[in-house]
Formats: sequence, C-alpha cells, structure tokens
Amino acid sequence: MLSQELDLRDYFRIIRKRLWLIVGIVIIACGIAGIYSVYIKNPVYEASTKIIVNQTPNQTASAQLDLNQINTNIQLINTYKEIIKTPAILDMVVSQYPKFNLTTDELMQKVNVSSVNNTQVMTLSVRDNSYQQAAEIVNAISLIFKQEIPNLFSVQNVSILNEAKVNPPQAPEPVAPNVLLNLAIAFVVSLMIGLGIAFLLEYLDDTLKTEAEIEQILGLPTLAMITRVGPEEAKAGEQVAALQSRKTGELEHVTVAK
Amino acid sequence: MSQLQNKQRHLITVTNPRSTVSEAFRALRTNIDFSSIDEKIQVIMVTSSGPEEGKSTVTGNLAVAYAQADKKVVLIDADLRKPTGHRTFSLSNRFGLSSLLSQQANLDEVIQVSGVPNLSIITSGPIPPNPAEMIASNRMSATLQELRQRFDIILIDTPPLLAVTDAQIMSSKSDGVIMVVSYGKVKRDIAVKAKASLDRVGARMLGVVMNNVKRKASEGSYYYYYGN
Repeated sequence: MLSQELDLRDYFRIIRKRLWLIVGIVIIACGIAGIYSVYIKNPVYEASTKIIVNQTPNQTASAQLDLNQINTNIQLINTYKEIIKTPAILDMVVSQYPKFNLTTDELMQKVNVSSVNNTQVMTLSVRDNSYQQAAEIVNAISLIFKQEIPNLFSVQNVSILNEAKVNPPQAPEPVAPNVLLNLAIAFVVSLMIGLGIAFLLEYLDDTLKTEAEIEQILGLPTLAMITRVGPEEAKAGEQVAALQSRKTGELEHVTVAK
Repeated sequence: MSQLQNKQRHLITVTNPRSTVSEAFRALRTNIDFSSIDEKIQVIMVTSSGPEEGKSTVTGNLAVAYAQADKKVVLIDADLRKPTGHRTFSLSNRFGLSSLLSQQANLDEVIQVSGVPNLSIITSGPIPPNPAEMIASNRMSATLQELRQRFDIILIDTPPLLAVTDAQIMSSKSDGVIMVVSYGKVKRDIAVKAKASLDRVGARMLGVVMNNVKRKASEGSYYYYYGN
C-alpha cells in the first residue's frame, strides 16, 4: 500500500485473500445460531386476547355513535395499556391464580399490550413455553382487568372481544425462537466480524510484498520477482531433464513434444 | 546428469530452464548486468535479513544462469555457520572456504567443478569456531583478488544479516550486494534495519530479489511461458 487509502480493487483482493477465513466464521456462527435456535432454546408460544374499550349503551344518553366518545376511548386505551402492566392488576392475577406459580415481576415480563392506532381494540398477549399456560394466563389477566377497571375508573367500558383458546384445534406454532431470523442475524453479524478481522489482519500485516513497497521503504530497485516453484513445474522439469538425458542432442524435438 | 535430477530439485534453472522461474533468474542476471554502467560488477554477494528466505537457492540459480550465459562463474558458500552449497550441488564439503582461509588447503584444491558447465563451486568447508574473523581476514581479500583474475563472476552466499556480522564484513569486499526478501515474511522495520547495517559498512546495494512470490501475486507481472 503506497498510501493509507485503499483502492476498491484492494478491498476485493483482501477479501479474496481471506475468503476462507470469512466463510469459516460465517458458517460457524450460522451453525451455532441454528443449533441454538432449533435444539437448545425452549420454544415460546404466544396467546392473545382482544379487549374492546367502549361505553356500554346504557351509560350514554343516546345509542348513536359519538365521535368524541370514541376519541375518548382511544385516548383511554393508552392509559389502560399502562394499567394492565402495573402490579395493581398483576398482583391480583398472581394471588387469584396460584396455579401459575409466577411472581408479579415474572408475569410482567411475559405480558405485552399493544393497540392499533385509532381503533378501540387493544391486544393483550402473553408468551410462555407452554401454549396452554400462555392462553390461561392471558385469559386470567383479561378477566381481572375487566373486573378491576370499574373500581379504578368508575366506568364500565371494557369488554373482552375474544378470549385465547386454551385448547386450540390446531397445535400453535411457537413464536420464538425464530430460526430464520436468528440465522439471518447470525449471518449478517458474523459476515461483518469476518470482514473486520480480514481487514484488521491486512492492516496489521506490515511485511514487504510489492516492488512499490520495497522502493518506498528501502529505496532499492527490485531486480527480480521469483515465484515459488510449484509441484507441477518441478515435475515438468524432471520430465524434461529425464527426456533430455535420454535423447541428448534432440532438445528441440523434446520441447516440441511437450 | 542423474546426480542433478535427484538432488538438485530446487536448482530450477538446471532442471527446467524453460520455466517462468528460470526466466526470472535470467531477468535477474540481466538486471544485475545493467544496474551498473561505469563500474564492473564482478563480486556479487547475496544475503537477506533473516534465515530461510532463499539466499542459497537464489545464489545457486543465479550462478547457473550466469554459467548458461557462457560466463566463467564461481560460487562461494561463505555461510560458515549453516552451509548448504555442497548439498545443493551434491559436492564434498571436506575442503572448502574455511580450509582455504585457515591455510589447510590452497585455492586450486578447494575449487570444485559442478555438474553445470562454466560453474565452479567453493563449498564452505568444515564449520570453524571463528567465521567472522575468517571472513574479515586478509587472506579472504587476497583470495577474492585471485578469483577476480580467474573468473568472470564471483557469487557469494552469506549468512543472514541481522543474525551475524559475517555478511556485513563480506559486503565491504564485494562489488555489489543483493538482498533476498521472502514474500510476505519480512517486516518493514526488519528490512530497513538490514539495509541500514549494510549502508553502515558502505556496501553497494544493487537491489532486492523478492523470493517465494505467490503465483497469483505475480500474474500481473506478465511472467508466462513465451514460446512453446
């Protein structure tokens, strides 16, 4: 390298030179990620319920849909999302369902609340290593939440849209580990690490390799570049020498035959 | 001839004179011949910064390349610590440079003929206890003077520069010094140190021979079989 700046061709050369190192790192990383995802990590299942936030008709003066009312409900969802994840609700779940054998903190880890913008529906989902357990937990939380909201807000505006099926007809697919995603992440990360190592090694390698380097570092001309004598060349040499010794004086004939 | 085939495998200029590697040695010969215009380069020393960079191989092949150009060549193995010249040319090492310098033999006794026409060899001889002093001796200078009369080209193989001082001493008695650099093996500061040690004794550096270049790296240098 004459300058510290690398030519685009140099990048290709460095990558090609250490291609097997890079490929090796990528293969090993993807292999580890794959084995970890498929065999080691326990599958995680997700069960969810949908909760609709709406004033029941008997609480409002008219049965008509009131836009303001809807907007208020949408705003309320943000508040509810926070309330579900507080010990106020989760403590009750833990105490009323001792069969889950969970602490409030553990439960909090498993719960996820989301809502689609501008709808009155919010989705409560729970992840667990057993789908059945996840469904039972999410149903329990939804139920407790529905029971408790009137105490907190003095309005009866929460109803459960659908419950999670504890025993679904089809066995649910685990949501985690996502084998493909893990493999993709492992591939990208290991590729970056591999490239990084390749360029680092190249940067740390300060041995003389080109005529330009010799001229620059030593100020001496390069008189000759002598390649390694490859096995095929040495072999060819032996053949030529053998032929020469047999057919002395017929050198031209020998080389033409070659 | 059979002797050459079996034991001189790395003398590619002998075994496969039409190969690209042999061509590189002929290019080296030409470049040395044209590296000096006014002064005659007759005594050429080959050294390197460290061991096992291919000094002896380069020296041997260069000697053959000169011999093939109808020059009278003598190769002196002045590596009195780890000599290899006798093995390269399958010669006896009973008498050699060390016996000559310690006055146990005269010049005619130590000059051996190699299997290559025009090429004579002076092997190292038995390993002496004081190689540096031997090389620094007046007898060494006198021997070189004598050889200058008898031969066109005198090639000297020496120990590595940074390990021992022998090459430094020898360089002051030579017309030109070639430094062998093994591809991708010599760090920059080591090469600079080696060159500085030669500069200090006023050696005349002819240039560098890059050895063990990977085939792919040399593809850009247009070394290919020309002709058939």
